[in-house]
Amino acid sequence: MDELYLDNIDEYVNDQDKIVTYKWLSLTLGVHVNTAKQMLFHYLDHKRKESSAQLNATYLVSGKFVDNGQTCHKVSVVKEDKLEDFKSKMSLIVSVHVYSVQKALLKDSGPLYSVDYDAVKDNMKNCSRYSAIRCASAVPVCSPELQQTREIQQSPTPEPENKKPGMNGEANLASKPSTKPQRGIMGMFANKSAPKNQDGGKDVKPEQKEDAPVVDLHKGKPDVKANPMTNFFGSQAAKKVVKTVEEAAQSSFSAERQRQTSPPEEKPAAAVELPKDTKKDSRSKTKRLVDSDSEEEKMDKKKRRRIKKPEPDSSDEDVIPDSPQRMETREPSWSPKKKVESVSHSHGNSEMKTRKRRRVLKSRTFLDDEGCIVTEKGYESESYSEAEDDVQAAKRAPRNPVAAKLSSSTKPDEKRSHKKTSANANKGTKQASIMGFFQKK
Amino acid sequence: ILDKTRKLLAECGAQRAAKMATLLMFSDISAQKEASSLLCRPTSDDQGPVYERMSLAYSPCSERFTVGERSFSRQYAHIYAARLMQMRPLLSDRAQQKWGPDVLIRKLCDLQTGEQCCIVGTLFKRMELQPSILKEISEEHNLLPQPARAKCISETDELILEDELQRIKLEGQIDRDKCVTGSVIAIYGAEKNDGKFTVEDFCMADLPLQTPRPALSSDRFVLLVSGLGLGSSHADSMLGLQLLVDMVTGQLGDQGEQSGAATISRVLVAGNLLSQSTQDKDASTKPKYLTKKTQAGSVEAIRLLDELLCQLVASVPVDVMPGHHDPTNYTLPQQPLHRCMFPLSSVYPTLQLASNPHQASIDGVRFLGTSGQNICDIQRYSSMDSHLEILEDTLRLRHLAPTAPDTLGCYPFYQKDPFILEECPDVYFSGNAPTFESKLIKGPDGQEVLLVTIPVFSSTQTACLVNLRTLACEPVSFSAFSADDDEERCGGLWRCGDCGRWG
Repeated sequence: MDELYLDNIDEYVNDQDKIVTYKWLSLTLGVHVNTAKQMLFHYLDHKRKESSAQLNATYLVSGKFVDNGQTCHKVSVVKEDKLEDFKSKMSLIVSVHVYSVQKALLKDSGPLYSVDYDAVKDNMKNCSRYSAIRCASAVPVCSPELQQTREIQQSPTPEPENKKPGMNGEANLASKPSTKPQRGIMGMFANKSAPKNQDGGKDVKPEQKEDAPVVDLHKGKPDVKANPMTNFFGSQAAKKVVKTVEEAAQSSFSAERQRQTSPPEEKPAAAVELPKDTKKDSRSKTKRLVDSDSEEEKMDKKKRRRIKKPEPDSSDEDVIPDSPQRMETREPSWSPKKKVESVSHSHGNSEMKTRKRRRVLKSRTFLDDEGCIVTEKGYESESYSEAEDDVQAAKRAPRNPVAAKLSSSTKPDEKRSHKKTSANANKGTKQASIMGFFQKK
Repeated sequence: ILDKTRKLLAECGAQRAAKMATLLMFSDISAQKEASSLLCRPTSDDQGPVYERMSLAYSPCSERFTVGERSFSRQYAHIYAARLMQMRPLLSDRAQQKWGPDVLIRKLCDLQTGEQCCIVGTLFKRMELQPSILKEISEEHNLLPQPARAKCISETDELILEDELQRIKLEGQIDRDKCVTGSVIAIYGAEKNDGKFTVEDFCMADLPLQTPRPALSSDRFVLLVSGLGLGSSHADSMLGLQLLVDMVTGQLGDQGEQSGAATISRVLVAGNLLSQSTQDKDASTKPKYLTKKTQAGSVEAIRLLDELLCQLVASVPVDVMPGHHDPTNYTLPQQPLHRCMFPLSSVYPTLQLASNPHQASIDGVRFLGTSGQNICDIQRYSSMDSHLEILEDTLRLRHLAPTAPDTLGCYPFYQKDPFILEECPDVYFSGNAPTFESKLIKGPDGQEVLLVTIPVFSSTQTACLVNLRTLACEPVSFSAFSADDDEERCGGLWRCGDCGRWG
């Protein structure tokens, strides 16, 4: 074994004035812990013989120790001068080795802990790599298996939780806890926003994917504080979005799955809905969408789930019988998309079905019994295909000039533009009803 | 029982019998024949030994203490009813065994004055010093808020036995100071003219039946530790904790010690991973503008814990039980800590987040135990001080936590009482004790149980190693040096985190 390590240790101890513990040395040089201990001993020995160097060492002593009739196995870190004393007190010595080498005389063993703590912290994944014990079952589980095991474990428990939310019908099954905090602000939009939140959840997921070469539409993650505000805007914008820009739902849908192929689309999509706990809904949603057959999509699904980990544990995973309606509800809300992108992406998605039914937020204007014109927004099922979407997208484009800005603007801009669109939307509806009152007279 | 032991010894052969008699310690196993190999130059060929961690069959029995859907709209009376209903037949059997098969077992409503009989019911101890919120807020008493007492017993305590319909005062041959509310016992005596029942003798349900544990071929260990106390203001015990982790993961020590450490097949952490100082109650009373940017003490502590656990789980399976100071629910059974708090360590399948109380079977050896709240509570309401003595008592009473729900918080169970021991464990432990104690006890039907009180690590720097083959338990202690150390022993005053007693 070449003796380079002697110079290395010399450098650490003398030049850098470090406290070199065996563990730190083992992690730094990438050697077995026992080798590191021997290296330290050799260095100490060598240096002391060669020159009366100012070196201090601490030792580790372990063995059998009898104290008031109670025998115990004792492990201690001792200063060099106390070593022999300690050894003599033990009834049986199991190990003795150098613990650390440093220039200064240590009064307190605190610094030894800090050195080891830092060393381990920097090498968290490899902390047991150079140790003398290998554990066969201690292999970090990668996300898909982890998700599966967790789902298996959790599937009995979410059942009871499911019953209550199940009664809400339209509303999110899984978003019971999530919609609660929003209810204060979103009370008016409760029913409408709930599905919106579902949709948003999926959008948040792509947002969290690192590999999407994200156009900086919204910098930073939606933090919780921003969420109520953005939700407010989000729902308004979403309604507007559905009215004006009809997404190539399928394309955006599959885009979400294949995030590599449509990063820009996702960004605005995510921007619109920045709800917090809809992640779990989207997770459950992704589970439902088993019709996607690309491997990639499955990987994405599962990777997404892993990141969502904190949320879903407390909620129900098995969001059962998903009506196809719910699935489709999500799609329209995806971003005030540009028809251009939607067109381009709709072409890109050959794997998805070409014909689907989906629920679209539409405004219905009608005369009620009192003779007032009432405009109501409601979800209606309609069948669509990619081809239609392009047409519709094209139609919608002139109606939504604001949307054009969206993809290139930053998050606050988006919010503002959403606000504008939402304000517009509001004005539009209100005007209709005001006229209705006048007409009555 | 003596015959059984002799038979066992004979069966094992002379050599093994000798080993069992001397209780081979971990040190003995780890010691090497040849001289230390680490105080020398590194040799070129040696990469360093790598020992395989002994992996054993493990099955957690977690359903018993898992509370799923929780409803608190219930009275606690149901637990007592379920408890009595389940234990009455057991006690009737014991009574007949003890006082003859023709002993009269009466319900309280059927008692005849002067008749010698046996009654079965739940004990209730009326204590003046028991903290009562009603007394505290009552204006007529005019009480100032009292500090928590270490002991709430007094001379004026009264024992009452309660069954399904009635209750009766007890006096006589029963040590009132050793009894606690909630224990179900059978009493033999008679009702005298003054309306009180005079006790001549009493008996408890005693140990349940035990399925014999499998005979193991080699020594293998389980490390029990509790009271890590992370996140405290004085971090004196951190190096000791690091030494513990290093020993178990095979980093420190000589080859013999490392190969010995490889026989530690599991680590069980019994509660109080966080220090009491992380439970800062001031946060709720402080105005928001003062606490807005400050983080709860437990956040940093949990991060430390995660890093520590990550080192451990990369090398050994770990069971983590929550305790009194940990971020989980307060009432027993405490639910396992949540995975989301351990992002680094929860990717390892070796991390097992367990409930408190915890029950598991490790290589066929059944472990059952708590983080110590049940023992501390009994200590507060009785004259007993030794955790080991109380631990044995709970086993003989066949109930993990008799004082729940009276003085120990517990979930309002409806038709069952999961704290009743239905099967006798092989190792019965409680965490966060002031000192390490262990004892092997025998039951009336040939049961053999190892009782272990696991000491608080942050103050004693001691953990326990249980040998699964011999059911022997030995302490393992860690020490470092500090500026004011003349001796190597770590001493000093410490205080039990749960009951507040000094030691």
